[in-house]
Amino acid sequence: MSKRHLLALFTNFDEAEAVVKELRGVSLKGFDANKDMVIKSPIEHPECESLLGEKPVRVQWFTLGGALTGGLLAFSLISASQGNFFAQMKGGKPIVPFPPNFVLTYEMFILGGVYISVLGFLICAGLPARRSPLYSAKVSEDQIGILVQSDEAASGSLKAIFTKHKALEIQEEAGK
Amino acid sequence: MKDIREDIAWAQINKDVLKSLENPRRMYWVILFIAIAMVGVAVGCEVYQYTTGLGVANFSNPHVWGLYIATFIFWIGMSHSGTLLSAILHLMHADWRKPIYRFAEAMTTFSLMTAGLFVAVHLGRVWQIYYALPYPNMRQVWPNFQSPLLWDAMAIFTYLSSSILFLYVGMIPDLAICRDNMNPGWRKKLYTALALGWEGTDRQWRNFRVTYLTIACFLIPLAVSVHSIVASDFAMSQQPGWHITSFPPYFVAGALYSGCAAIITLFIILRYVFKFEEYMTMGILKKIVRLTFAIAMVWTYLNLIEYAAVWYGHDQAAKDVLIQKATGPYAPFWWAMNFCGSIVPLIMLFKRFQTHIPMMMAVSILLNLGMWLERWMIVAPTFSHGYYPWTWDHDQWPSLVQWGIVFGSFGWFGLLFMVFCKVFPSVSMYEVKEMVYHRSQATKKLEATGKMAAAGKGAH
Amino acid sequence: MSISTLLENYSEFRHFHPVDDVPHNPYKWAMSIDLDACSGCNACSVACYAENNLPVVGREKYLHGQAMHWMRIERYWDEDGREFPDQGAQFLPMMCQQCEAAPCETVCPVGATNHTPDGINSQIYNRCIGSRYCSANCPYKVRYFNWYDYPTTDNVWPAEMNQQLNPDVTVRGKGVMEKCTFCIQRVTVAKNNAKSEGRLVHDGEVQTACQQACPTSAISFGNLVDPESRVHKQWQVQKVELDKDAQTKDKEEGGSDLRGYRILEELRPYPSVMYLERVRETAI
Repeated sequence: MSKRHLLALFTNFDEAEAVVKELRGVSLKGFDANKDMVIKSPIEHPECESLLGEKPVRVQWFTLGGALTGGLLAFSLISASQGNFFAQMKGGKPIVPFPPNFVLTYEMFILGGVYISVLGFLICAGLPARRSPLYSAKVSEDQIGILVQSDEAASGSLKAIFTKHKALEIQEEAGK
Repeated sequence: MKDIREDIAWAQINKDVLKSLENPRRMYWVILFIAIAMVGVAVGCEVYQYTTGLGVANFSNPHVWGLYIATFIFWIGMSHSGTLLSAILHLMHADWRKPIYRFAEAMTTFSLMTAGLFVAVHLGRVWQIYYALPYPNMRQVWPNFQSPLLWDAMAIFTYLSSSILFLYVGMIPDLAICRDNMNPGWRKKLYTALALGWEGTDRQWRNFRVTYLTIACFLIPLAVSVHSIVASDFAMSQQPGWHITSFPPYFVAGALYSGCAAIITLFIILRYVFKFEEYMTMGILKKIVRLTFAIAMVWTYLNLIEYAAVWYGHDQAAKDVLIQKATGPYAPFWWAMNFCGSIVPLIMLFKRFQTHIPMMMAVSILLNLGMWLERWMIVAPTFSHGYYPWTWDHDQWPSLVQWGIVFGSFGWFGLLFMVFCKVFPSVSMYEVKEMVYHRSQATKKLEATGKMAAAGKGAH
Repeated sequence: MSISTLLENYSEFRHFHPVDDVPHNPYKWAMSIDLDACSGCNACSVACYAENNLPVVGREKYLHGQAMHWMRIERYWDEDGREFPDQGAQFLPMMCQQCEAAPCETVCPVGATNHTPDGINSQIYNRCIGSRYCSANCPYKVRYFNWYDYPTTDNVWPAEMNQQLNPDVTVRGKGVMEKCTFCIQRVTVAKNNAKSEGRLVHDGEVQTACQQACPTSAISFGNLVDPESRVHKQWQVQKVELDKDAQTKDKEEGGSDLRGYRILEELRPYPSVMYLERVRETAI
C-alpha cells in the first residue's frame, strides 16, 4: 500500500497548533497522528511539541553512561600506568598519588560526558538524516511546516483540514 | 532601551545575517590583511627560534619562562567568557545573550587554539611534543600524571574539543538555514554536509534542547576547572609569589574579566564590519559593560586579597617578591596593571560612557592590556627574586623574538576569528528569532492584561 | 596485567618518601662540603666542565645567564661601606642537591627526571621535551637548559679541543635540561666492578670530578648508608638527618654548635648535600 506525503506551511503559530490538535482528534483510515505527523519549525517551540503528546528524550542516559565510563576509565588507566612504568619515585610522593589522579578523572568525566552526549544526540535525533521527501526552505525562515504521511484515500480529507486553517501552501508528493 | 526590535521580520533576520557571509565592509579586508601580516612576523620569529634555539628569546637560567607562558595564560583566560555567555547565561535564561553568544563561543575556540600554539612555541624540543600524550606503547612509557602541565594538556584538550562540539551543535539549525539559502557552490556543499540533514522537525528540536542544555551544564564546571588547573601550574609549585592558595579563583575571575573585555572589543568590531546594528544593540552593549564591571570588581577584590594574604603572611620570601614587584625592575608594569585592571573599569560606572562606542573600545583594550600585564606580573617577578639569592641579579628582559611571537599571536587569533565570521553566521539566527518571538509574546500578554485591567477599571 | 601489578603492590605504591620510608639500601649517594676548607679556586667547576662535556658558552651568553656550569662557585659579601666589599667574599660551591623529594621531579610532564634507587635525581635527556618546569620549580636553580645547539656552535669545543670530550658522557643537543649527576658514569662503573666481584662499593672507590680536583679536599662524596664511609661519619658527627625538614639538634635550647646544615631544608626537598658552615674570619 503506497503512502503519500503532504506538507502544509503556516505563518501563524496558533493556526498550526489548531491543526495539530485537530489532526490528533481526527480518525482517518491509514493515518495515525502519533506516528505519521511531523512538525517542522524554524525555532525551538516547546508549546507546539507538547501538543504532539509525551515523547521521551533519551540523550541524558547517553550522558550519564559516557561520563561514568570516562571517569572510571581515566582513574583505572592512570593508576595502572603509574604502577607500571612509574614504579619509580618522583618528588617523594606516592607512586599512585590520588590528588592528580582525581583532577584527571574529573576532566575525563566531562570529556566522556560531552562526547557521548553529542553521539547520543545524533542517534536520538536520527542525524545525519536523509532529507525527507517534502521540504520547503520557508521552514528554516519563518513558517511552521506540518508533514503528514497517509494512505492516498485519506490525503484528501487531510488537505481539507489544512485549507480550513488557512495553510499558506500545501505541497504534495508527485503521484506514483 | 530595548535589546532588540520586536517587530523585526524573521525573513529579514535571515537576510541580514546571511549578508554577513557575502559582503562585509571594506574594514573586514583591512583587518584580515593586518592579521595576516602579524602572523607573518610571528612565523618569521618562530622559524628563527626553532632553528637556532630558545636562547634567542633571551631566556636565561632563573628566567626560564617568559612572555610565552604569560601570553598562554592570557589566551586561555580569554576563552572563558565565551562559556560564560553561552552556558552560564543560557542556564540563567538571560536571553539578551542570544545575538552575541555565537561569536563569543567562537572566540573561546580560537583563543584556545592560540593558547595551544604557545605550548608548542615554548617547548625546547617541540618535535617531541607527543611525549606528553598518554598514548599506548609497548614499552609502557607514560607521561607523568603528577605534573600540572599534563593536567593542563588534558584540560585544554577537553575544553577545546567540548567547545568546538558545543559551538557546532548550537550552529546546526543555522547551518540548515545557510544550506537552504545558498547558491550552489562549495559553500552550499559545505553547509549541506555540516547541517547533517537538519530540517527542524519536532524530534530533532526535542533532542537538540536536551543536548544543548547538557553540554552547557558540563561546560561550566569544565571552564572553572581549566583555569584552576592553569593556576595550579603556579600554585602547585614551590616558588615564592606562586605558591598561593587563592590562585585558582583569582585566575578564574581574571579569565572572565579579560574575556568580557575582549567580547566588548569584538562586539564593536563585528557590529561595524558586518553591519549588525539591528542585532548587536546598545541595550546589549550596556548589559555586557555592566557584567564586565561586576567581574572587574570581583577581580580587584581577589587581587587585593592576594596582596594582603602575602603581606600579612609568614613567608618572607613571598613578601620580598611582592615588594620587588612594586619597586623593582617590573614596577612600571605592575602599577600599570593595577591601574588598568582596577581604576580604568570605573569609567564603566558612567551611564553616558556605557554606550559610548569609542570610549568602550578604548576601555576594553586597556582592560585587556591590564590583564595581559597581570599574567606577566605573575610569571616573571618570581624568577628575578626567588628563594635563591644567586639568581637575583640576572638579565631578564625578553628579546624581540619573544615580543614578535606574542604580537603575532593576536594576528593569528584575529585571522581565525575573522575567517570564521565570514564563513559561518556569527549571529545565531534561530535564537534571535526565538528571542524576538518570546519577547513579542510577552509584550502581547502584557498589553492584553493591561487592556483587561483598563477595561476592568472602566466597568468598575 | 597493569591492573594486577597495581593491586599486588598497592601498599608499596602508597607511601611518602623519605619520611615514611626505609632508607635507600645498599646505596645512597650523598655529599658533604666543608665551606671552611673551600678557597673558591673554581677547580671543581673546571673539572666538572672537563668530565661532563659541558659547553663553554662564551662571554656574551654568560652575561645573559646562559652559562652551563653544573658546579658553580657563588660569592657572597656584606655591603659594609668598604672600598672593595667583595674582597674576602665567602664562597659556596653549588650544584644539584640530589633531593630525596625533589620539587623538579613531580612537575615534569613527561617524567624525564626521576628518583633512582640509589638516591640520585636522574635526568633522561632523550625523554626531555624542554618545558623547563623543573627549573622553574627548583629552589636552588641548579638546572641548566641547552638554549642553543652547543655541539654545532662555533668555539664551544673548537677543533682539537673536541678530542678531550669524555667518551663516557653524551653531549646534549638543544632544547634539553641538564644538571649535575653526581658523576653517574663513574658511579655506574664502580657499582658494576663491585657487583662482578660480589661486594659493595668501598668508600673512596668512586670520586666525583669536583671532589677529585678540590685542592683542599673540601668535598667528600660517598655512600651514606655505609657506616664506614667518610660522608656517613661526617653526617653522623654533625647530627644531620636525611629525612628531617628541621634538624633535631637545632631545636635544642640555644641552638647547636655543630656546623652541618642543608640549604633551604625547610622547603622539604630533603637535599643530599650537607654543607659545613664557615667559621674562620675573612681574609682581610
